[in-house]
Amino acid sequence: MKSLQYFIFLLIISVAITGCAKNKERSHINIAIPYSDNVQDYETNYYIKWLEEKTGIDIDVTIIRSTRSNEYLNNLRSSDLDVDAVFFGGDFQADEKAVSDFVSNPDAYDEAELIYTCKGLYKSSGCGQVMWINKDWLTKLNLDIPKNTDELYRVLLAFKKSDPNGNGINDELPLVGNVDEYEFNSCLYILNSFIYTDPYNSYCYMDNDKVFPACVDNSFREGLSFCNKLYNEKLIEYADVDKSQLCELVNSPNNLVGAFTTDSIADVIYQENPEIMAKYIHLPPLTGPDGKSFALYREYEPAIGAVINYKTDKYDDVKLVLDTMMSEEASLIARYGEEGVDWEYAKEWDVGIYGEKATIVTKNYIWNTRQNKHLCGIGPMNVPDKYLIGVTWNGVNSDTEYIDARAKMRYESCFPKETSDNGIITEINNYVDEMTDKFVKGDADINDDKNWQDFCNGYNDIADKYIYKRMQNK
Amino acid sequence: MVITILLISIYISGCRINDNANADKWLESADLSGDDDENELYENALKEDILIVYTVSTRATQVKESFEKEYPGLHVEIRDLRSPELIKAVAESVDTEKYDADVVICNDNSGTFKSELLDKGKVYPYIPHDIKENMKDGHVTDMITFLDEAELMFYNGTKYEKSPISNVWELTEEKYKGKIIMPSPLRSFSTYALCAAILDSSDVLEEAYKEYAGSELEIPDDNNASEYFMSLLFDNAVFSNSSDEVVEALGTDETEYDFGIMVSSKLRFNEIGYNLKPQYDLEPFSGAKISYAVMIAKGSKNVNTAKLFIRYMLGGSDGQGEGYKPFQTIGTWSARNDLNDGNPVALEDIRLLTPNQDYIIENRDYIDGFLSNLLEKH
Repeated sequence: MKSLQYFIFLLIISVAITGCAKNKERSHINIAIPYSDNVQDYETNYYIKWLEEKTGIDIDVTIIRSTRSNEYLNNLRSSDLDVDAVFFGGDFQADEKAVSDFVSNPDAYDEAELIYTCKGLYKSSGCGQVMWINKDWLTKLNLDIPKNTDELYRVLLAFKKSDPNGNGINDELPLVGNVDEYEFNSCLYILNSFIYTDPYNSYCYMDNDKVFPACVDNSFREGLSFCNKLYNEKLIEYADVDKSQLCELVNSPNNLVGAFTTDSIADVIYQENPEIMAKYIHLPPLTGPDGKSFALYREYEPAIGAVINYKTDKYDDVKLVLDTMMSEEASLIARYGEEGVDWEYAKEWDVGIYGEKATIVTKNYIWNTRQNKHLCGIGPMNVPDKYLIGVTWNGVNSDTEYIDARAKMRYESCFPKETSDNGIITEINNYVDEMTDKFVKGDADINDDKNWQDFCNGYNDIADKYIYKRMQNK
Repeated sequence: MVITILLISIYISGCRINDNANADKWLESADLSGDDDENELYENALKEDILIVYTVSTRATQVKESFEKEYPGLHVEIRDLRSPELIKAVAESVDTEKYDADVVICNDNSGTFKSELLDKGKVYPYIPHDIKENMKDGHVTDMITFLDEAELMFYNGTKYEKSPISNVWELTEEKYKGKIIMPSPLRSFSTYALCAAILDSSDVLEEAYKEYAGSELEIPDDNNASEYFMSLLFDNAVFSNSSDEVVEALGTDETEYDFGIMVSSKLRFNEIGYNLKPQYDLEPFSGAKISYAVMIAKGSKNVNTAKLFIRYMLGGSDGQGEGYKPFQTIGTWSARNDLNDGNPVALEDIRLLTPNQDYIIENRDYIDGFLSNLLEKH
């Protein structure tokens, strides 16, 4: 009898526990994620599902349709929107100051506890600008890839005058450029054939451990004079083209563009446009009149991938999800997709796209394509360089990562031995950028000594505040 | 239980019969006999969808452009993949019955194209009757071989006016360590075909060694001459992902390499200033013959467009059409006997091994194992 009572007691307890387990609700959080053409369905996305299973936390997604992250964060701060975290990426990029302002006054958390980075779009450092030239036009006009600035001039002239697209209309744009971002600024590329020109370090370079400003050097002036000549002869479509126009021109089926510059070719040519991709080939670094050639060296700071809403009452849950996303395991999914299906670890004998021993083999290439395996670079991640460098070629001839890697390897021998650590000093960069634009377009005469001296004086006044004092204090 | 098993077996057989019936139906309606009228093909193609071409050759994009101009209203999508990925994609397209491949252009020398696609009925040959008679012997079989190339040895044209070597065994010398660049044979079908052909050529390598060293070859361990040669070559080599990398590494003034192995059609990069020098007379071989097939994929939904595209790509009836021109570049040899080769030196004047596809297919495990062991040690 006692055994029976004991048994019934245990049975009741078991049922109660099972009932509790069934009734216990999973925690869920709401994440605002920007819309991307490359993500098919956030509800059924493999990576989101994987995170839910890994963390035991359900993730509700609010899609952000805007591209204006500052506005969104302002609205979030002043409203009671049920958003626990915001992801950044794609066309919805975080502004550092806006994010910092957003998190600057939480009662409970430090800034560092609220902001998550995104590292893994590119390897940490490398060539920041490559020139791409229309190989079909070169072949058609029996021209060689230019190796120096004189040859570049002759090639651009031939592009302009000889109708290489064969439509009988003088519509060819020999070299296009844009000043919105340094990678698209083709004059910047040309200047590196005259003197090491580094806008990411306020146009300074190092020589024997000393910092020198490149833009007051006579070589810089010569470079600007050369660019001005190209502009006057309409060999460069410079500055008046914004990024989307630049992309439209290059991707046009009318075959309009002779050359352009970019960091990654994927920034200009659409992945789904292999025919256009096949037309362009990278130039090696161009040699200037003094026989020098430099390649722009760039270090890529991780972007801001996510920010936790300081008003959330589910901080621990959100933190768990975002911390999980920063793990290597999650980051590999975020970058390459599903292990075993989209990628696998490389075999001993595989070669990576940078010529080193491979670490990852892509089986199904989904980056920058419309897919449902990950968020295509949106949100936080932390992919170690060994995978970014060590990924093998996926066998697709128009794979932009492979095309970029081959180009950038050619430029490595032209990197400076060291770079200054000034970073971008806004006042200096704004001044130099504005004056460079004027000199190239002829709004200020580069060949006039007074104009040049005024420019140098203006630069020195600003540099005095930031660079020269720093140099003295070293 | 027995009845259940029987019922299941009948069902599965029924499915297979249905599959085969569908395939036969497609083949019948596709009518790949080659007796098509070009104008009728065009008319019927206009009712079809975008043609999907899977190709290992980027030159197919030039064919696409001129084809679309020649036949307004027809559109082509190019899927430009390396051979292993292409074969996998086409096989999947058929296996899953998506049938989103129409025309397939692929390297056919490593045996994989034959064993995975041709022998399994996933691709079919198509050759217009008026072009067939103008094709060279051996180019119209169960595969349509439309272009001949070679996986060939090149030397540094900046450093050397003429090649510093005349015998392959010289490549194994210490002074060339790290100076030879080639695609990984486990990623490049053409290089795989060359390596397989070398493994099948022990006798000629032993003879070549005698000429080189003036003595008999002493082979360590249980190797044969081919295996020994390959292991020494791999010790000296640097491996890349593709022939494009070899071009970019070897063909520039600042190259550190002395030799490169790549597909011969890359010689066309000399037109834009690269300095690639082919070596045609290396003892006992300078490389291996490779070729490219063009086929129609099983289940193609755009058969008329596919036929028209192939006709166009082969140069049309008289070979003078624009479609074949992108392939007639230096480093290539025509499959037609009424068209000149792109290369100034004839194929028969170059010392090339001919990969034996049956040998490769039968010995695949051995070849794969041997090469991956060597690459791992490297």
